[in-house]
Amino acid sequence: MDIVPAEEPARVIAELNPDNSFAENVCAPLLRDAQNSDGGWGFHPGANSRVEPTCWALKALMSLSSPDNFDGNAIRLGCSFLIAAQLADGSWPSTSEEKTGCWVTSLACWVLEGESEGEKKYSKAIALGLNWVCGDWPRDSGWWQRLLRRLSSAKQHAKHNDSARGWGWTPGTSSWVEPTAFALLALESHQRLEHPSAQKRRKLGELLLYDRMCPGGGWNCGNPEVYGVAGEPLVIPTTWALLALRKYPERPENIQSLAWLEKNFTKIQGPASYALARLCLAAYDSRPNMDGASSADLHAKNEFLRSITVAAWMILAASNPQNWLAPGSTVEH
Amino acid sequence: MRNRTLIPSFQRPPSRVMIRRAANYEQELGTLIFESLGEFALPVKDKVILLKPNLVGLDPLGVMNTHPAVIAATRESFLRLGASQVLIGDGPAMDRDTEAILESVRLREFVGPLARIFVDLNIDEVKRVPLATKASRLKELYMPKTVLGADLVVSMPKLKTHHWAGVTLSLKNMFGTVPGSCYGWPKNILHWAGIDNAILDINAAVKPDFAVVDGIVGMEGNGPIQGTSKPCGVLIFGDDPVAVDATCCRIMGLLPERIKYLASAGTMLGHINADKIQQVGENIAAVRSKFAVVKEFSALSEAA
Repeated sequence: MDIVPAEEPARVIAELNPDNSFAENVCAPLLRDAQNSDGGWGFHPGANSRVEPTCWALKALMSLSSPDNFDGNAIRLGCSFLIAAQLADGSWPSTSEEKTGCWVTSLACWVLEGESEGEKKYSKAIALGLNWVCGDWPRDSGWWQRLLRRLSSAKQHAKHNDSARGWGWTPGTSSWVEPTAFALLALESHQRLEHPSAQKRRKLGELLLYDRMCPGGGWNCGNPEVYGVAGEPLVIPTTWALLALRKYPERPENIQSLAWLEKNFTKIQGPASYALARLCLAAYDSRPNMDGASSADLHAKNEFLRSITVAAWMILAASNPQNWLAPGSTVEH
Repeated sequence: MRNRTLIPSFQRPPSRVMIRRAANYEQELGTLIFESLGEFALPVKDKVILLKPNLVGLDPLGVMNTHPAVIAATRESFLRLGASQVLIGDGPAMDRDTEAILESVRLREFVGPLARIFVDLNIDEVKRVPLATKASRLKELYMPKTVLGADLVVSMPKLKTHHWAGVTLSLKNMFGTVPGSCYGWPKNILHWAGIDNAILDINAAVKPDFAVVDGIVGMEGNGPIQGTSKPCGVLIFGDDPVAVDATCCRIMGLLPERIKYLASAGTMLGHINADKIQQVGENIAAVRSKFAVVKEFSALSEAA
């Protein structure tokens, strides 16, 4: 781990890695300025607060470990926004008008657990949220749907292992790679609050991720093959799947998928993919050739389309993964 | 505020659809598109226009997405016609790195820096929209405010077959207005609601005002992503997206009345009957180019 003297953090960080300097000097101030008075963040500066960008902004600010950059008040306000946004059933909706929770519930639980006071202050909210996550079964792999598929004469578009069950983006739909990865990360970070079905759901979720890996490694949204044609992996689902499965680094699927990500890193054109690939590679302690575009170069093109989420991911990519990835699993050491 | 009142097809006057030849993307498209739009006398002066291209994935070869040359020329044409602002917006369904898709199709090279021109509809501000048509099981959708607030929404699909819907043209293209931040990547809730019926509900809610279809190079077979490039050499224009899609089907050698959502759209959103569509420019027979479909949709082909 790089040790940065407290007196001149920005300059020293810049010398170590220009991406870190960009995160510190451009992305972090952007997040701080974009926090709304209700404590949350929108997807763009000035936009209404939503759960997802608030989660990523909080994760990013929590990952800034330097005392000079501690955003305690902003983090507390952001967590308060999340607590206020939780629905009575424990879930979180994607937007404040909605009355039904969705995939952002996993993110909210994961983020609140990472807050330094989260263990005691937010334990009830997190437990309610994880209870909802554990009870949110995908519809496609339920017994009724499986029976219908078996009775149907129509050829299946895609070959999936029906016994693998993850999580969908919205309740009552199919399992997909990214919401499954987020749920696994949330459950992993909060192992002390064990839900009766958490272990089973984790196993089924991991099974689903491995089942949905593309031939040759990597993941797309969850269609490794359609009509007999192999699906192309994408960077973002690959990074989240690898992060959710990082406790199995020796599995051939992980090795193959990491190799795909390393090989494709220099071809990345989008800042979101760039940031997430960097943070995933760092979590696997992989250091491929990272010559080429930098976060500043990418920002110069289209200002990340003014996305708060991308700015937050850039900060996470510049942070030590131990600062934010799975705080719950290291608390007891 | 746009008028979103639905007029049953039997009460609608005949629609006009214009077909223009365009051999390739390198030719000067600006004049062709400007003149074609001018034929429709659209009320665009001082208005905010939203162009909704079809951007589905990373596409360095320019096979699956609406070509940036067509998007740029259309944008320039609307500005020349007096629009106060012409935004470009989409919400790709499979990949949330929208900027990577934009860079892969080189949109910035054609229209300049995108930060204040392009709206990622997946993460736009949203507003609840009750679905009046109730064709699908969905009662409501949260839709992007940029879409709802635009004075004129222009659907700009690519001429493609689709392995689940038969074809993806200006109506199916409106799936991209549904925000991923609410419904995910992909927007799987729409599939569970029934793709055909969800297409109807979304189009009844958004009511795209105009369509410009990029048929210079289309896609056949296992579209919308894994199909095969299909040069067709046409651009299709019209202020009735249903009639535009029906005409596109006929150009592709497919029967629009056999495409479930299009047949239904022909009763409440526009015209699919050829005798209710006034064809302007090239005639269909002159530009027809039979598109291959996956075998599940073989009944759509005219020869079937």
